Amino acid sequence: MRNATYVKMALNMLLHSKLRSWLTIIGIVIGVGAVVGIISLGDAMEAQVQSRLADMDLTKITITPGYSGAQSRMPGPGGPGGGGSSSTDAELTDDDVDALQGIDGVLYIDTQISGSEEVDYAGETATLSITGVDPQVWQYMNTLEVGSGRLLEPADKNVAVIGSSIATEIFDQEIGVNQVITVNGKSVRVVGVLEEEGGSEDRKIYMPLDAAVNLIEDAEEDVFDSIVVKVESEDLVDPTIEEIEERLMVSRQIHQEKDRDFSLSSSLSMAESVTEMTSSMTLFLGAIAAVSLLVGAVGIANTMFTSVLEKTKEIGTMKAIGAKNRDILMIFVVNSAMVGFVGGVFGVMLGGFVSTLFPYLGVTLMRGGSGAGTGLSPDLMAFGLGLAVLIGVLSGAVPAYRASKLKPVDALRYE
Amino acid sequence: MTLSEAIETLKTTLDPRKFLQSLERAADFYSESDSEQDSDSGDDSGNGPSDSSSGSQSGDSFKGSGAAVKTAALSNGTTPLIKLTDVWKIYQMGEVEFAALKGIDLEIYEGEFVVVLGPSGSGKSTLMNLLGCLDLPSRGAVFLQDRDISELDESELARIRGQMIGFIFQSFNLIPTLGTLENVTLPLEFQEMDPGKARRRAEYLLDIVGLSDKKKNLPSQLSGGQRQRVAIARSLAVNPPVILADEPTGNLDSKTGNYILEFLEKLHEQEGKTIIIVTHDLELVKYATRVVYIRDGEIEKIEHAEKHAEKHAEKHAEKNEMEE
Repeated sequence: MRNATYVKMALNMLLHSKLRSWLTIIGIVIGVGAVVGIISLGDAMEAQVQSRLADMDLTKITITPGYSGAQSRMPGPGGPGGGGSSSTDAELTDDDVDALQGIDGVLYIDTQISGSEEVDYAGETATLSITGVDPQVWQYMNTLEVGSGRLLEPADKNVAVIGSSIATEIFDQEIGVNQVITVNGKSVRVVGVLEEEGGSEDRKIYMPLDAAVNLIEDAEEDVFDSIVVKVESEDLVDPTIEEIEERLMVSRQIHQEKDRDFSLSSSLSMAESVTEMTSSMTLFLGAIAAVSLLVGAVGIANTMFTSVLEKTKEIGTMKAIGAKNRDILMIFVVNSAMVGFVGGVFGVMLGGFVSTLFPYLGVTLMRGGSGAGTGLSPDLMAFGLGLAVLIGVLSGAVPAYRASKLKPVDALRYE
Repeated sequence: MTLSEAIETLKTTLDPRKFLQSLERAADFYSESDSEQDSDSGDDSGNGPSDSSSGSQSGDSFKGSGAAVKTAALSNGTTPLIKLTDVWKIYQMGEVEFAALKGIDLEIYEGEFVVVLGPSGSGKSTLMNLLGCLDLPSRGAVFLQDRDISELDESELARIRGQMIGFIFQSFNLIPTLGTLENVTLPLEFQEMDPGKARRRAEYLLDIVGLSDKKKNLPSQLSGGQRQRVAIARSLAVNPPVILADEPTGNLDSKTGNYILEFLEKLHEQEGKTIIIVTHDLELVKYATRVVYIRDGEIEKIEHAEKHAEKHAEKHAEKNEMEE
């Protein structure tokens, strides 16, 4: 029997199959749809992370006061979110900055403070995060893009660079360059508006350190919430971290690990952990989706067994008129593969549809989503179809084998 | 002689033109075939499986088959087509063993019309399964063309069934999801015949059984008689030397049943096909050249329908003379 005939016979069986078979197909549709959808989500997240990493400066090391024992802290790329979380009242001071001078490969050292303060503009008030940075080096250390105006310069005093959503969203009236906002009762002139970055970065105000100290409550001269060190290249990040650690231990007169009162984090290690987290989450969700696929496979196997039982007499007839065991096996396997294929086609369509919904579902992991490429890639479609066919073949193999091994005389007698 | 050689030899004994002549008349019986039939059939005769043999060859071999009918009827000489020697079939029913067949000896020769007659439970169905290579004996041996079928593996048995035996079942056993034409084509597809040829052959056979206007119909859309005619067309698809029918008229009214039997008789008379019918219906005896009475798994008696057989043999002889 030729392959074309197998296909013809299997297709005939499929077209005449009962509602039961179509219900079985739904199992595969959902399974494939879920797997394809989740892989697509994972791909999209990874693409987002990758594109962010490409933008991100991976050569920065951030020092923060306090030590929580493990590298669990994940400050944003521009600076840490808050102060130390340990019980000791550790502070970072000028002394620490001095201790860091002269390390090989360090390009810049920026000192930062941060706080949340009330900002007034055009009669409205909002509480916003303010970061005081060293205007001497800050403009060389960050990867932020200016939308309009400029970044902070060494001579700047009471001026600010603001995130894009502060400029456009938070206040009814848009804030432009050279507008004046009021922070804690003091006037600050906006000199630059940043490009949209996505996430919390868009809701930050950057100011020169000296001016920020005056504006932010609790802030003191020469006491910093974080010190950011920029090194020459990514390769230098790890050795520099060790060097900084040693120097600070010495300068802060800490002799034992348990007395340590500062933390180091690098954007590189953060990037790594984010990537790792993304992929492990995709894997986890994929595993859950795979379970539904497994259930679908069992459904196909079940239907195939029933179908073989139902067609016992036909199998006997076909054997009587010259069908070999192999012919019967192939007809049923091809039929099962077709069930898988049809399920795969609809599953891929479902997966494609679901993945277009991600931006609306507010999958915030993608940091604002920006609607980037959520369509299915051709590779993923082929994968989904291939997977469905494979599952069809695998789950149909045993029933088909049983069908092929039926003795013609027994099969003919079956009612 | 290898098995495939044997099959080839048997096939070349059939003259497609003869087949046509005889069966066109059968088609007329239903007058469903239209005027195109002649030209159709003319084309199709060349597409039969035996079209490799030249006209003169088939003419000669047809004579041979006529002689075979004669010798077969007299049950002497030549090798039997199917030979059963001391065949037992024992079923294990729980603790008890049940012998459905108890030492059957039977020889069936080419060109015979054998009716195996027995009440239900006599073991006649079991016998049919063995004759049709659907089952293997528990003890004893079944020889097909001098070859023990117990020694053949599954795919060889399937090939023998597919090429040498045309099955007709009581309940027709058409594939319900396939159309009439596809049902008839199916055996040819198992033999991997060229699809175009297979189709033409199937169309031709449907024409012969008078169903050329029902090619697309599913079996469920046909009457019992029509279904059995499709089944006959299917059994003839590969042009097998043996037609094995299990109660072919069991589910049909007597008029339709008679048509089916007359059709089979024509196949026997004019094609020299070996016909084996398994039944409990005494009526069928009149078509037989030999009747095998079976009861309780044993052959009670074998009766030669001498007159009938001779009549057939003579008919063949006359025909051959006329041709010459």
